Amino acid sequence: MIFLRKALSQGKRERQVVENMKRHIRLLCAACGSFESALEQNNRSLMHHVIDLEREGDSIRREIISKVHDGAFLPYIRPDLCKFVEVVDGVFDILEDTALFYLDATLPENIQDECVRVALLNQRICEMLLLTFEAMLKGEDLSEKTLAVRIYEKKVDDIKFGLFREVRQTPIDSFWEGKVLADFLSGLTTISDIIEDASDSLQIIHVAMK
Amino acid sequence: MTTRIESIDCDKSVYDAIEKMVDRRIRSLVVVFPGNQTDYGVITARDVVFKALAKGIDLKKTKASDIASRPLFCVDKNTELDDMAKSMQEADVARIFVCDGEKIIGVVSLIDLMTATLVRRARGNDLS
Repeated sequence: MIFLRKALSQGKRERQVVENMKRHIRLLCAACGSFESALEQNNRSLMHHVIDLEREGDSIRREIISKVHDGAFLPYIRPDLCKFVEVVDGVFDILEDTALFYLDATLPENIQDECVRVALLNQRICEMLLLTFEAMLKGEDLSEKTLAVRIYEKKVDDIKFGLFREVRQTPIDSFWEGKVLADFLSGLTTISDIIEDASDSLQIIHVAMK
Repeated sequence: MTTRIESIDCDKSVYDAIEKMVDRRIRSLVVVFPGNQTDYGVITARDVVFKALAKGIDLKKTKASDIASRPLFCVDKNTELDDMAKSMQEADVARIFVCDGEKIIGVVSLIDLMTATLVRRARGNDLS
């Protein structure tokens, strides 16, 4: 465990990478928070802000990857670190797509509350990912944190079935209207899956660096 | 807390209740008594197994209200998790309904309490 703390704290490049990784996850939390608020208040400009945050996330990802390939960290751990960053970036991508689908879709009133609940859970699971990352930096045991991530993901899964069942009862005017709505719901309920993958990646890094 | 509360009218059969529970993948249904907006009962999988199936009664001829538990065990929406757990332990029930005034707004099961407690620990006691 001492090795882990040492590996993550020594060297300027390593410190920069770690700081950027933290910034990347914090930004994702902010994006999930904006998404939830935008959905709850039906605020389209706030939803556009999610798209801006995705772009900012992209640039942080590039910085991290280039620093890692510039020689930060021992070679054997670099692929795992890059994979984690790419998975987090994947969440940004899905969040952006879902925000765009929302801007094009007409959300039926009967599923509005459940969608907000899922968005809130996405925000919570993201905060838990940040806590897991911070715990890893401190060399703490991650098991309780990763379990909490899985609990949140399961909650989203539980809502997902009801949501899709409910939406099937809703009359749809055209194919594209239905497609955009289905894509929105699919994106909304996939975010937690990908964050769970990110949390698993952290666990792998944690084990690999022991 | 689960906010999606499924209910069944009191004059529906136990079979109808079972069908609904299986279709919706849930373990309990609120039994609604018409004419009284605040009088509810609850029928659980436990009630179905012990009070109906085990006794071999006719599921289609027996009303859901005949095997439902009444009144509903309710706590206020502001009740703390620990107090909720204590109440459930004292009443020996696996789920407790959460009410806003006289309106049921959700149901908390033992698994909800367990996961909420684990999440609270993981968040450093910052309850979500």
